[in-house]
Amino acid sequence: MVEHTESAELDRVFSALADPTRRAILRALTRHPATINEIARPFPVSLNAVSKHVMVLERAGLLHREIRGREHHCRIEPRPLREADTWMKYYRHFWEVRLDALVVYVDKKFKAAKSKRGAAHGVR
Amino acid sequence: MASADGKHRIVARRRMPAPREIVYEAWTDPEGMREWMCPGDVLSAEAVLDVRVGGSFRIVMKSKTQVHEHTGTYQIVDPPAKLAFTWWDAKIPADITLVTVEFVPHGDESELVITHDRFTDSDLARRYETGWGTIARKFADYLESGHTRKQPPRSA
Repeated sequence: MVEHTESAELDRVFSALADPTRRAILRALTRHPATINEIARPFPVSLNAVSKHVMVLERAGLLHREIRGREHHCRIEPRPLREADTWMKYYRHFWEVRLDALVVYVDKKFKAAKSKRGAAHGVR
Repeated sequence: MASADGKHRIVARRRMPAPREIVYEAWTDPEGMREWMCPGDVLSAEAVLDVRVGGSFRIVMKSKTQVHEHTGTYQIVDPPAKLAFTWWDAKIPADITLVTVEFVPHGDESELVITHDRFTDSDLARRYETGWGTIARKFADYLESGHTRKQPPRSA
């Protein structure tokens, strides 16, 4: 389903942004594009770990990577966060899913209230 | 960009198998909300609701990989017909949207109409800047503290 695919994309964006190191990487890239080595320099974590963070950002569509020889050049791709459309799609799905759950909940509550009333009538 | 044109607005409606009083209660009782705000991969939801005009709420949903926090302030509290509240999503810090919930009676059943409003492109651009501004400050703090820790006196 289209809605589900869009929701999965947004989930990837949210998960990517949930990590402080990844947000710092993006922040650094807003100043200028950089290679993975340059990105990794200020962080007290391994190059391998930074490389994994970069991969998560790339999958979320927030980072564009270009391989030139042995160097991986990265630049920020802010588009997924810019469109009001994106958030509207997210929240459309958000409310639809919650409305489904609400129908189930309300149905249960109403039936319980009715059977309680029914039982009370039965006694008299 | 205003949303009066209806362009930046979501409307979701659903027939509810209960009178609107029960549906209204599901929105205003934290116990109930914890149940139905927990669909799909959401493992738990916490809800603290101070349902009065000017009162605020906080809903935190946790899934395996994410914590999703929402807060807001009630603007309209009109039982059992209508609720309106601002909606602030912790992941999009600079933007506050508005949610209106209407409970329409249909005999023993009812209809629920959610209008989620004020999604704006300009705010999104601003939120983006603000978000990064905050991150830049945190980043600078981090670098400062990181440097003092990473370069101890060599005498040891």
